[in-house]
Amino acid sequence: MFPNIASEKIYVIGLAMHAAVHAERGLRLEEMVFEVSHRALRNAGISRKQLDNVVIAACDELDGRPISSMLMAAPAGGYLVDEIKVTESGLNGLAASVARLRSGEFQAGLVVSWCKSSKTDISAVMRLRNDPFYYRSLNIGGLVSDGMLAQAVASEFAVTRDEIAHRVRAAYARGASNPRGLGSPVPTVDVVENGAFTALPMRETDLAPLSDGAVTLVLCTERFLADNRQCVPLATLSGIGWASDSYLLGMHRLRSFTAARNAWEMALAQSGLSADELDFAELDTPSAWHEAALARIFGLIDAQISPSGSNFSQNPFFCMGLINAAEAVLKLSGAGGEPANARPRRAAAHGCHGFAQQGHVVAIFEAIGGQVN
Amino acid sequence: MDNGLAEAGHDVMSDEITLRYDYALGKVAGRFMRGLKEGKILATRCSKSGLTYLPPRAYCERSFEPCDEWVEAGSQGVVEASTIVVRGYEGKRKAPVAIALVRLDGVDSAIANYVDGLDLSDPASAMTRIAPGTRLRVTFAAEREGRITDFSFLPL
Amino acid sequence: MSTQDVAVLGTYQSDFRTHDMSQTYVEQVQKAAIGAHRDAGMCVDDVDAAVISLAPTFFLGVADADRWAIDNIVCAGKPVLRVHTGGATGGSAVHIAYSLIQSRMARSVLIVGAERIAETPDAQKVLNLIFDAFYERDMPLSTNTLVALRACAYLHRHGFTQEDLARVVVRARRNAMKNPHAHLKGDITVDDVMASKMIAYPLKLFDICPRSSGCAAMILGNMDMAKRYRTNPAFVNGIGSLSDTYWMGDRTGPTADTDLVEYDLIRMAATTAYRRAGVTDPLKQIQVAEFYDPYSVNTPISLEQAGFCSRGTALRLEKDGYWDRDTGAVAVNPSGGTLCTNPIAITGLVRCIDAATQVMGTAGDMQVRNVRRALATASGGTAQFYNCTVFGAEPTHG
Repeated sequence: MFPNIASEKIYVIGLAMHAAVHAERGLRLEEMVFEVSHRALRNAGISRKQLDNVVIAACDELDGRPISSMLMAAPAGGYLVDEIKVTESGLNGLAASVARLRSGEFQAGLVVSWCKSSKTDISAVMRLRNDPFYYRSLNIGGLVSDGMLAQAVASEFAVTRDEIAHRVRAAYARGASNPRGLGSPVPTVDVVENGAFTALPMRETDLAPLSDGAVTLVLCTERFLADNRQCVPLATLSGIGWASDSYLLGMHRLRSFTAARNAWEMALAQSGLSADELDFAELDTPSAWHEAALARIFGLIDAQISPSGSNFSQNPFFCMGLINAAEAVLKLSGAGGEPANARPRRAAAHGCHGFAQQGHVVAIFEAIGGQVN
Repeated sequence: MDNGLAEAGHDVMSDEITLRYDYALGKVAGRFMRGLKEGKILATRCSKSGLTYLPPRAYCERSFEPCDEWVEAGSQGVVEASTIVVRGYEGKRKAPVAIALVRLDGVDSAIANYVDGLDLSDPASAMTRIAPGTRLRVTFAAEREGRITDFSFLPL
Repeated sequence: MSTQDVAVLGTYQSDFRTHDMSQTYVEQVQKAAIGAHRDAGMCVDDVDAAVISLAPTFFLGVADADRWAIDNIVCAGKPVLRVHTGGATGGSAVHIAYSLIQSRMARSVLIVGAERIAETPDAQKVLNLIFDAFYERDMPLSTNTLVALRACAYLHRHGFTQEDLARVVVRARRNAMKNPHAHLKGDITVDDVMASKMIAYPLKLFDICPRSSGCAAMILGNMDMAKRYRTNPAFVNGIGSLSDTYWMGDRTGPTADTDLVEYDLIRMAATTAYRRAGVTDPLKQIQVAEFYDPYSVNTPISLEQAGFCSRGTALRLEKDGYWDRDTGAVAVNPSGGTLCTNPIAITGLVRCIDAATQVMGTAGDMQVRNVRRALATASGGTAQFYNCTVFGAEPTHG
């Protein structure tokens, strides 16, 4: 449905993540964000003045400020530079940033996103996201829509309770081995099987606990890279796709995952790859039900799914998708210390947002250096 | 889009939304507010750019490096801009109030606060006493609570 | 990589007023989207992606209301981004849509939004919350106070009076009489402005924009789409956008990069847009300027910084009629501008529509003769976000 004529590769030249933490109480938001952007620029080996565009992905309501980029633009790196804010999710910021770099008018960009889940009354924000007439009195958003999503997933894909319990424990186990994660212990089968229900069939234990975080990626075009030989690219971004689904929840909307499929196809088409050519995909999975659905929709086997642990490693709600992108790039660039010939070569990073995952974003990253397999 | 469905359409559904926030002061604003209680205005300085900031910053926007030094601001400064707010104001004080951006001695940027000691019954004449370029001095409230309104400006 | 030209294929704006009780937010957005599709002669399948122009949602009381509107603009399943840069939002939305087409990620993009600020009686409280929680909210600073600080210093520095500012308002309200969409309009005098109540010295009620509700949309497309759908498109010739420090006090004193009083961020953004658009002499090459001027003092400052006259002269030239619609050197805000209509979430988009339609020759009673290029601007935050968009009758790259 979508013209995938965009194919210019974009390079990731630097990144930084705030250390995973349940609640960051010591730093104000500006300080947290300055720290990650500052470190990401160092990592990229360029100065802030070499940036010609900055994209901030942030949510006013979560930040508790009507125009959060006013105070955040400069600490993020957006001082006397073209800076724009998008508000759906961290990975939507990456989509905007790639559009700017592929436009031919920009050469070096920074995309940053954050979320202090601990500081925010998230349930109040979710309530405020309900339309005032039909959903709000019932507070359909958040827990209720997640419950409905789980029900739809169970029935559409014949997902069993055993599979969910297995996925929860496996995700925690992957997260536990991620040195950048919270290191949460793997819950026992008993705990997972007997978690309290939030909204049937969703159990509290199916959901990944929220945490605080921030992440910055520094990106550039091929031309910039040619002009700045000191920059060592970490990975290329060869495709990005995104889509939003209907706001109105219904059986078709909850079961079809149209937006996820469209985002996935758009991204893969730009990169000329298919799902089985991906070594792994970091999936934004607020609960194991989401993982069960996305694995099937994207056609992924378990060995391809979220080696970082994704949300079960750290889960800064709004910027989770961009954290996934950073995790994917780190793996492709060999930050894990794997020898070059054993490194993964192609990966997807996924993010989602809205009630029952109304919106999805998918980015495809590839390792630097030839087509060796 | 008058499709025949529309009637008067002036009904409303009321709702009240309260969101609570605990703003973390962070490492810099917290120190500044404690300084106010002690009767000091503390600025941060970046040794790389050489710039000194009020309100204090954790980092320098110009050099994009961390600020690395605390400096006590001078007790006088110069008005960069000023106004007298007359109406439509929901501030800590009731209008009319005079507000000025003042660059204190030893500091590169200006900080906003109330100006006291003016007769505001004639705004035009009061404005001449706080015109850009005028020097003002800092005065501290007797009871201080660690908020920005612990101090204000006064004509010399 | 060759750069794509981008054309304006269709536009729509509603009439603006204090409140629109006859429809909901999503219905407003739908109305605007349908209007722009009709104007372009396109159906929903002809649009690849959407950018939603939505500023603080605390005004309408639905967080992330862009998601609520997806069905109403028939974009379920499509790529959608919401852009939010405060008052600059509408201009930023046009810039992102432009990048989506230039990057070949979309052939055509709908930009759409609505404002219903009157849904809450607490709009001023929301506006006060944009300021720093520790250093400024206790006073609090407000947008009126901020601009009053600038206006006092500007008049003081250049030796102008409140009457000089009043003439800007008189011209704006007169221009708006030809704009069927404008919120405030009328034949008023300098005395009327001077007699309006003082808000924050030297700004009086008439120096300040109203808060408006309404909706607007624009469709941008690549050259193929332009050939299919529009015989007289306007082209986006160049964009420029910059963000300054939040801190007003950092824009003062000898070490500052920018000047709080002169708002020279405008000059920096305009210079970039002009370079991309091939504009070397704005006064000769641009016939219409649609400035984002929510306060009377913004108009002269914009004219000076965007290169239409030198610093400290715009109010003198105003008096001499240089900025008049039909007889001036450049038609400044023939729509009446932001002083007459300010639907915050889409004001920047409306500026772009009012500029583009002048180039397309579809500005109705507002139409200025022989417009080859028009400039639209938008401003947000504590006058810290500024963007410029140059529309022209010819494509930039051909």
